Amino acid sequence: MKKAYVRQSPGDAKAMYDAYNEVMVDLIRKNDKIIMLYGDFPRGAAGELATKEFPDRVIDVGIAEANLITLAAGLAGAGKIPFTHCHSIFAVGRAYNQIRQNIAFDKYNAKIVMLNTGMLWAFMGGSHQTIEEIAALRVIPNLVLLSPCDPVETKKATQAALDYVGPVAIRLANPPVPTIYKEDLPFEIGKAVLVNEGKDATIIATGICVGDALQATELLEKDGVKVRLLDMHTIKPLDEAAIIKAAKDTGAIVTVEDVSILGGLGGAVAEVVCENNPVPVKRVGIKDRFGQSATIDELKKEYEISADHIARAVKDVLKKRK
Amino acid sequence: MVDQALIKKLEEKAKIIRRDAITMIKAGGLGWVGGSFSQADIIATLVFHTMKHDPKNPSLEDRDRLIVSKAHCCETVYAALGEAGYFSKEEYQHYGKYGAKLQAHTEKTTPGIEYSGGSLGQGLSFALGQAMAARIGAPKDSAGKPIPRYRVFCILGDGELDEGQVWEAVMAAAHYKVDNLYAFVDHNKYQSGGRVVDRINITPLAVKWRAFGWHTEEINGHNFEEILNAIDRAEKTPGRPHVIIAHTIKCKGVPTLENKNVHFCKLTDEMYEEAVKALK
Repeated sequence: MKKAYVRQSPGDAKAMYDAYNEVMVDLIRKNDKIIMLYGDFPRGAAGELATKEFPDRVIDVGIAEANLITLAAGLAGAGKIPFTHCHSIFAVGRAYNQIRQNIAFDKYNAKIVMLNTGMLWAFMGGSHQTIEEIAALRVIPNLVLLSPCDPVETKKATQAALDYVGPVAIRLANPPVPTIYKEDLPFEIGKAVLVNEGKDATIIATGICVGDALQATELLEKDGVKVRLLDMHTIKPLDEAAIIKAAKDTGAIVTVEDVSILGGLGGAVAEVVCENNPVPVKRVGIKDRFGQSATIDELKKEYEISADHIARAVKDVLKKRK
Repeated sequence: MVDQALIKKLEEKAKIIRRDAITMIKAGGLGWVGGSFSQADIIATLVFHTMKHDPKNPSLEDRDRLIVSKAHCCETVYAALGEAGYFSKEEYQHYGKYGAKLQAHTEKTTPGIEYSGGSLGQGLSFALGQAMAARIGAPKDSAGKPIPRYRVFCILGDGELDEGQVWEAVMAAAHYKVDNLYAFVDHNKYQSGGRVVDRINITPLAVKWRAFGWHTEEINGHNFEEILNAIDRAEKTPGRPHVIIAHTIKCKGVPTLENKNVHFCKLTDEMYEEAVKALK
């Protein structure tokens, strides 16, 4: 059963970066501490507006992600609120030590906007599809990691990132995503959103995979399987209470993500479940492989993260449920 | 003409911070004597003369910032801050030990320290961010250029210049004409593994920085008159970031150890005695 703040059927699709920009247009005008930093990246509506109205609050460092992240730390150390923008693979992959040492170590109030996250980036191929984001970032102390799933949640996550004083990384996927939520979605950092209620098993999904997970609950419903769906929009701090409750209430868990299951959301959920209330867990996500050029649908099929795969994983885990 | 009384004062301060640094390294057992001593005269000049700062109020708004990118060479930095009054010199006895205020690489939690280093090649980017923050929203001169609210001084090692990120920051600083940024290269010619020219030859240095658009000075980093004059010329050169390439001597101040690449080392009793004798 869907919660009241979930649309009965998905609304218009929109790129998360566009949704992010819609809210940033407003925030840039309201808060003069916000500085927009780009690593040779399309600026979007907010960046274009800032370039025109507040040119000294826009800094492009070129193709130099290490400098991008450390420079942001310097700005934050002087009281500014930097928002950095670059492809996820180059933030996590090329500037990992800068995120760790320059941003998180001193808890700087900097926001790392990671774009074109995860496996679900069509055409670009394995060099650009990031499978490491969650595993790599969730072990960094002090860092909040957000992973919204639709345009409404993206806007709320952006506002929450600004309201939170400290380092935040936000994952924004490339493809347009359908609108899952109504505007009254409650959003709190570190508190999972209950999307769908059910007692047979729980799906815990994050980011762009929440839409597919929701479809999976509908497929399963037709077969009489009632599944709880949690949208784990905050990877860190992880909502351990919601995970433990899911294990106790439903006795079986499937995790869904478009990054590596090794150390990813699946790994994080398994850690909590094993320590607190062991129940069968099945991880849907990237199984220790690099990506490749393909359409989104082809990628979902090849890497076994489609709604069908999620539904099948639930049926598999139910067989192990005691 | 540089004020001779000022030079005498700075010489005295430099001797004190070298001496206190040795006390610290003796207490900690380990330390970076060579690189800490090669930068000591630059640190003394900045902390005891050039920079606007207040030891009683480390977070003074619009203070000048000192970013020591070669953050392992922390001992003379701590000694300068202790001498200036940021914290008690009793802290020296705890250097590098459990619960110490003075960690083995500079950390922002220590009063007067602006930057948590330890990962080389990043300090100049951080300094650039701080310098740019001083310009954003600042009042403008008649030509429409911002009048920065403060200056940022950054000390880089020469071996550190191997790191590619340094040159990312060098390009960005020149692109944005960040003329309130002052970099010093502590060019002591040695890095952890040996002579810089034998590891990766970074010379000629001045030519490189000039080509990247920086106002470039090349000086003897142990001559206070040259240090002061170079800073003075930089202050009078608007529109470009500044680099002062300071030719220095590793372990300067303890003749028996000079130029022997005493990098990260256990301070033996013999070394300690030699240093104490030399720094009387």
